[in-house]
Amino acid sequence: MIRVKVKLFATLRRYYPELGIGEGIEVELPEGATVGQLVNHLGLPADHVRVVFINGIARDESHLLSDGDEIGVFPPVGGG
Amino acid sequence: MNDLRMSRYARQTLLPQIGPQGQERLRAARVALVGCGALGTAIADGLARAGVGFLRIIDWDVVELHNLQRQVLFDETDVAAGLPKAVAAANKLARINSEVRVEPVVADLAPRNAERLLDEVDLVVDGTDNFETRYLINDVCVKHRRPWVYGAVVATYGMTTTFLPGQTPCFRCMLAKKPAPGTTPTCDTVGVLGAAASVIASLEVVQALKVLTGQMEPDPPLVFVDVWEGVWEVLALRKGERRCPACDEGRLDFLTAREADRVVELCGEGAFQITPRGNGRIPLERLADRLGKVGEVFRNDYLLRARVAPYELTVFADGRVLVKGAADEAEARGIYAKYVGA
Repeated sequence: MIRVKVKLFATLRRYYPELGIGEGIEVELPEGATVGQLVNHLGLPADHVRVVFINGIARDESHLLSDGDEIGVFPPVGGG
Repeated sequence: MNDLRMSRYARQTLLPQIGPQGQERLRAARVALVGCGALGTAIADGLARAGVGFLRIIDWDVVELHNLQRQVLFDETDVAAGLPKAVAAANKLARINSEVRVEPVVADLAPRNAERLLDEVDLVVDGTDNFETRYLINDVCVKHRRPWVYGAVVATYGMTTTFLPGQTPCFRCMLAKKPAPGTTPTCDTVGVLGAAASVIASLEVVQALKVLTGQMEPDPPLVFVDVWEGVWEVLALRKGERRCPACDEGRLDFLTAREADRVVELCGEGAFQITPRGNGRIPLERLADRLGKVGEVFRNDYLLRARVAPYELTVFADGRVLVKGAADEAEARGIYAKYVGA
């Protein structure tokens, strides 16, 4: 198993209302888990497009996670 | 530049990052600004005061009272006169810095005009309010290897970065899948704090000044800010494992799109049908919740009808949207982007 830490930003925070600002969630996943599997595990709706950063670097849904990864999930921002 | 003209910029040229040489480069620089709303007005204000020599401001919309809460170049006389935003901005900027040449363009940036309007500039800066236009800017900038500054804001948060084609990932690398219409909040459905727009616009101005004075770092970070929560995240963009249709394969889908597929004028006064390209299924229930906050909404199993004066929007589950009350195609597209989100 691997353990990763996830922070949700902006509109994504409403799926974990108990979390404080800047607080992360510890998630345990099987070895070889991908970004896409993590997003499913978190229960984020599939049609809610997001940008996922692993240790500060934007990654695809197919990216393999490693133990200790720090993950930030952001909604795309389109207003102006 | 002579001493008298330079004295306007005294506090700026004192900075080692700008100096007299940097100021001279700004004076010779040409920028296209797409969109002149909350972000666009603050960006135009910043660039004109900083002494950027030429600004082309592209916006299809007209100044309205509800813009004044955050769109810093406009005032009540512009609303009373019903001025287009690009024109009102140019008028105001001429009084702020008459040395800057401002070219207002009252038009919707679209595939048919995008290459022309974004031509002969050193940089494109994003003040738009929708994804469709940003993918279009990206296509033009990838094709012509032109740097562009992306910035977007909604509610109390926003993000910004600079794309340097041929050097950095592009907008489509970052956001491979265009958000489906109705799935992302827009400033017109959830609102926007003027102060959030000011922060993102300021960051866009800084990035523009860096590019125009030749000081942009080779891998500009993506900055996410939530001004209400005090969150500030600096993130790196790297090429992903996946090949990008735009910058790796040269498929410029948004630039080559046939607009006839997207907006069709219907019989009757000011009725337009907008058909989004690709997968356009719209979650009606969620959209109804959002639109219910700004207007009167009727919904059945097949469609949603919202009255947001003076318009009436009919949104079909398959993604088609009818806009009634729009004067022309550009206005219909803008209303669609505002309330459904493109």
